[in-house]
Amino acid sequence: MQRSSAVMGPATETAASLRASRLSRNFRGVAPYLYVLPALAALCLWNYYPLLFLVDLSFHKLDASSPVPTWDGLANYRELFADPLFWRVLRNTAIYTFLTVPLSIGLGLALAVALNQRLFGARLFRTLFYTPVVLPTVAAATVALWIFNSNYGLANYLLELLGRPPVGWLTDSSYALWTIVAIGVWKTFGYFMLVYLAALQALPQAVLEAARLDGARPWDRFWSITWPLLRPTTWFATVIALILSFQAFDFINIMTQGGPSNATNLLVFYIYQHGFQYFRLGYAAASAVVMFGLVYAISAFVSFWFNR
Amino acid sequence: MMRASRRAAIYVAVLAVAAVVAMPMYWLVVSAFKPSDEIFTATPRWLPSHLEWQNFVLAWQGAAFGRYFINSVLVVAAILLLQLTTSSLAAFALARRRFAGRGFILLAVIGALIIPIQVTFLANFITLQHFGWLDSYWALIAPFAASAFGTFLLRQSFLAVPEALEDAARLDRCTGLAFLWHFLLPLSRPTVLAFTLVALVAHWNDYFWPLIVTNRDAIRTLPIGLAMFVSQEVTTDWNLLMAATLFVAAPMLVIFFFTQRYFIRSHMHAGLKR
Repeated sequence: MQRSSAVMGPATETAASLRASRLSRNFRGVAPYLYVLPALAALCLWNYYPLLFLVDLSFHKLDASSPVPTWDGLANYRELFADPLFWRVLRNTAIYTFLTVPLSIGLGLALAVALNQRLFGARLFRTLFYTPVVLPTVAAATVALWIFNSNYGLANYLLELLGRPPVGWLTDSSYALWTIVAIGVWKTFGYFMLVYLAALQALPQAVLEAARLDGARPWDRFWSITWPLLRPTTWFATVIALILSFQAFDFINIMTQGGPSNATNLLVFYIYQHGFQYFRLGYAAASAVVMFGLVYAISAFVSFWFNR
Repeated sequence: MMRASRRAAIYVAVLAVAAVVAMPMYWLVVSAFKPSDEIFTATPRWLPSHLEWQNFVLAWQGAAFGRYFINSVLVVAAILLLQLTTSSLAAFALARRRFAGRGFILLAVIGALIIPIQVTFLANFITLQHFGWLDSYWALIAPFAASAFGTFLLRQSFLAVPEALEDAARLDRCTGLAFLWHFLLPLSRPTVLAFTLVALVAHWNDYFWPLIVTNRDAIRTLPIGLAMFVSQEVTTDWNLLMAATLFVAAPMLVIFFFTQRYFIRSHMHAGLKR
């Protein structure tokens, strides 16, 4: 550095470094935009644009009879709300949601509280309960198909041991949705257990200790101190569980195809069927818009309720 | 006394849940090793008479699983590499640079978190059709080039690195991308790993998107391959189906068991921050 300045002389050095610093200052101004550009461009193309496109598509007719989107006004929505199957699907989805959300969160919370008491083998249990979460849904669905097989499945054998007649777990329309609920809870409660475990470990220990010294019983301690302190976690868990339950698709497509007689036909499967089996993309878009209106409305309501 | 009996009751309840959770996984493993004549028995056998390793060979040959496996590895590796690159670059700017529109861009990233694939898949399918990318690796990779979750997570982590360190690094001529590479990323290793593991599991297991955009064996991934194998074979060779299920699930299970302490701790962290 010193040597080069001696060779170039003071005047040239100043000019060169001035130019260099102006260049780098210019670059420094643009650089942050260049850094965010790839991520931002991809998010715009694959996340934001589709949102607008979906709404636009829902007002168009796009299917085998009209391969180019043509304006169709509210026709898709009118047809959707007139379809008795759509109402059936909404009802199925509501049942699935109102069962899986409290069951998976409740089970997750109960086990987190239990494992938080330094139970013998707690870490082993934690690993076990989380394993279904990392299992591919296709794998879980295949095992479930085998276990709930009407003739040779393990589930019916266990019923037989209890002296009960066999059940068409996936073939009887009065049981199929319950079976799907059970598998959904089995697959997801471990996630909520971990979320609650993290929250429990972050609770202010002094408050809990004070209550214990005051002689408050465990049950009272839980409901009057722990549960209120966990409120933000329960809010987070509820919103995530809601979104997850509305997305249920994999088990349906692999195990029941929405059957028997549409008993397990849930919203995403209905949209998928219309979009990719009947190739009615405009109609599918309208159903997707309705579905997401519902998800966001319910999530907003839940958030309002938790933060009131 | 009271306390001991309460603990015992809790323990029994936890064991009961553990039995219900473990049973399907036990049945998966046991069925995968059973010879065919021990699958359809009036009273199920809890253990196979011998381990039928041949099941795995037959299942592997029953469909193009070799191809599916390679495709899964390629697609997931490409997605992770892209997401880590785009997310760390964006997170770097959002956490450590001041520029006009930064707040708005951050908001746009966070907003993208609540747009699930079930909203975007119809439109993205049509976009890919326009690009002529359907039924190609591009269709499996491109829509996941960026990750709002990863960008947000890395930004939080980069924010925690003190400004003084960047000043010190600047004196040593370590600025911009060099600082990101030599300081920010190594210092954020727990977050980088947490995000990588979460994204790895999500994309390895993904069934919905590949189902929509793939239509030929040459680019299908493992979950699709397994689901197709199931739909062809159903009602017959449950031992082969379980063997195939086991080798599709195995990579994630092995990775989970080996990184679990780390994985669980990071995932809890991720869950709280999301």
